[in-house]
Amino acid sequence: MKKTVAVVLVLAAGLALAGPVVAQQDTLEKIKSSGVLTIGTRTGSPPFAYINKNNEWVGFTIDLVEMLVKPSVEKAVGKSIKVEKKESTPPTRIPLLTSNSVDLIAGTMTDTPQRRESVDFSLTFFYTGAQFLVKKGSPIKSINDIGGKRIAAQQGATNAKIIREKYPQAQLREFPDQPAAFQALLQGQVDAYTNDGIQLYGLKAKAPNPNDWDVVGDFYSEEPYGMAMRKGDTKFKAAVDAGLKNGFESGKYFEIYDKWFGPKGELPYPMTPPVKAYLLKQIGK
Amino acid sequence: MSYTFKWSVLWTGESGRWLLQGLLTTLELSALAWLLAVALGIVAGALRTVRFAPLRWAATSYVEFFRNVPLLVWMFFWYFGVPPLLPRAVQDWLFNHGAEFWAGMLALGVYHGARISEVIRSGIQSIPRTQFEASVAMGLTTFQAYRLIILPVALRLIVPPATNESLNLLKNSSVALTISVAELTFQTRQIETYTAKAIEALTAGTVIYLVLCLSIAMIMARVERRYAIPGLIARVGPAA
Amino acid sequence: MAAAPAIVFRDVNKWFGKLHVLRDINLAIGAGEVVVVCGPSGSGKSTLIRCVNGLERVQGGDIAVLGASVTARGVNLPALRTRVGMVFQSFNLFPHMTALQNIMLAPKKVRRLSHAEAEKAARALLARVGLVEKADNYPANLSGGQQQRVAIARALAMQPKIMLFDEPTSALDPEMINEVLDVMTTLAREGMTMMCVTHEMGFARRVAHRVVFMDEGQVIEEATPQAFFAAPKSERGKQFLSKILTH
Ligand SMILES: Nc1ncnc2c1ncn2[C@@H]1O[C@H](COP(=O)(O)OP(=O)(O)O)[C@@H](O)[C@H]1O
Ligand SMILES: [Mg+2]
Repeated sequence: MKKTVAVVLVLAAGLALAGPVVAQQDTLEKIKSSGVLTIGTRTGSPPFAYINKNNEWVGFTIDLVEMLVKPSVEKAVGKSIKVEKKESTPPTRIPLLTSNSVDLIAGTMTDTPQRRESVDFSLTFFYTGAQFLVKKGSPIKSINDIGGKRIAAQQGATNAKIIREKYPQAQLREFPDQPAAFQALLQGQVDAYTNDGIQLYGLKAKAPNPNDWDVVGDFYSEEPYGMAMRKGDTKFKAAVDAGLKNGFESGKYFEIYDKWFGPKGELPYPMTPPVKAYLLKQIGK
Repeated sequence: MSYTFKWSVLWTGESGRWLLQGLLTTLELSALAWLLAVALGIVAGALRTVRFAPLRWAATSYVEFFRNVPLLVWMFFWYFGVPPLLPRAVQDWLFNHGAEFWAGMLALGVYHGARISEVIRSGIQSIPRTQFEASVAMGLTTFQAYRLIILPVALRLIVPPATNESLNLLKNSSVALTISVAELTFQTRQIETYTAKAIEALTAGTVIYLVLCLSIAMIMARVERRYAIPGLIARVGPAA
Repeated sequence: MAAAPAIVFRDVNKWFGKLHVLRDINLAIGAGEVVVVCGPSGSGKSTLIRCVNGLERVQGGDIAVLGASVTARGVNLPALRTRVGMVFQSFNLFPHMTALQNIMLAPKKVRRLSHAEAEKAARALLARVGLVEKADNYPANLSGGQQQRVAIARALAMQPKIMLFDEPTSALDPEMINEVLDVMTTLAREGMTMMCVTHEMGFARRVAHRVVFMDEGQVIEEATPQAFFAAPKSERGKQFLSKILTH
């Protein structure tokens, strides 16, 4: 038995030393030879990426990839390519990327300094912030009211971290996915569910009685969404950013935004001037 | 371009405390669930071998119902399905006092109780019927015969498959993270999110689970040797 | 044999599914009587003897043991069984207990004797079957003959009025048969009421008061051993004896 323990420890140590084995190839080269850009995205985060009523995998982020990133990558590799989608969730997305299972995470991933230590982010393509979804009439109106309250968050999300660090008086309950967290809110296991405001609007819109629910509070965190790539692959990052930049400049990006978040979109969420300014500032405008 | 390992994430910041908390929660959850599972397993396993048909059917229904529905569903059942049956005030009290832990414990215990009962049943059935007859022929009641003869012998025979089930229970305790129980897997994921060092966090979790499993296997091997029946080497195979 | 009967079978019928294993059994065994039951394999001997302590239920007729019915509804079988000891072909000692613990179990758990009392009685019984020095042996470390003697001691520990033996020597190597038969003989001489299924004709001749011959679920004849072994009245009895004796 002791021997087994030793063997395992040696194996673990071996894994540690074998770092360079997990070395990553040049993504553009990979795409060029396979003709495929594999993205990791969501199946249940409307309107960013989800399976719609017709069983199609669609969404704002997916459109950005198809219409802006793909042409730019095609230009970089000099041939036409296909986009393949794989499901990725907050806990799995970084491992999927580092293990080369996907080339680009295009979902609802917030760009944070910490994450930048292990992945690279594209230009910000969406900007939101954390708020709370509560039952109408709830005493919770903002983050200042959550002391002693049971707050649901999604495991691995940045806002869970903020609550844990800055508001330890709240009872945090972390769920691996949005449906479970929302179910807990519906049934009263928790008093509020915190997530990025846009996600909460999406949930509210989908709820059986949307009017029973309110999204409350100012953004208590900044949640700029970026597309994540393996770290240090500058050529690939340049291609992805070029696609997005081109979208901002040509206005194509705003058309896509309007398609999903405009008044007739899947989830009306008009872009505020500060957000628009923030996005354009990235390309020097 | 290569992944840079940074093992220090496991002991810097709050990682160490999180891992410890996760470990304790996992142990607490698994230990309580194990006690429940063994108790249910013994009762249901024994009842499945008695002559009185209604008791046998009741035990069979329990086993088939609980072991044939995925554990994840049972987690949701105990966390989301059961509380609405209680008065609102009781619900609130529970939600403020670790309802998710107790729901996870029940899910794990009741589910694995059904599985352990199968192991125990096969142990009982490997004992010749005449042992039971010899017991009652001396004037023991059926209950005494099970308590003093049949179960003590059966439990000794089933240590290896029961070890297997116990390890499964421990590993399955990670499913409780779906209902927000902050056990070991939850905490390793947390470290991963905070530090974005997936391989390090996963390795830490893996090594801890491994050490736990090996310890349990060692303890059970000792128990097996300690309580071995002299001359009896017949073993019962793993549960179907 | 003048005393009131210890066991009475009246019109007993039993089926295993469609198989009619006991047919209209009428039989009485007196207190202090030693009866040997014999007959071909499958004739229903074991079933008959197992009905006495309720290990098998009957579908017709009734059985009374020491004046109390075994077959009536709601009988307290555990209480009845304390007065009827049983010894099996396959010994059935409890493998996780020593010889001494095997013997002490029922007195402690059923008769509620203290540990010390039970142990004293158990050691005395071990002495009676000649196995004092094996008190702490587990069954696996006893020979077949020794195990069967412990099993007899275990049955006697409840101080039964009646002892049932179902082929107690059939599973033994020939050299161990006599040590078990000796214990049984002593027991018979002490006046125990005994019902023995056995093919040990020497034992039957020496010890039994009566031989009951069964075939196909029926009692074919009852006779003294002398009469039965000299000249069975029935054709089937003759056939059976010729097979056993030439064997
Ligand atoms: N539990 C049982 N279920 C069905 N049949 C049985 C059972 N026990 C005995 N039998 C059958 O009943 C008949 C009598 O068996 P048994 O009393 O054991 O005979 P014997 O002891 O004389 O050899 C046999 O045909 C046997 O196969
Ligand atoms: Mg027989």
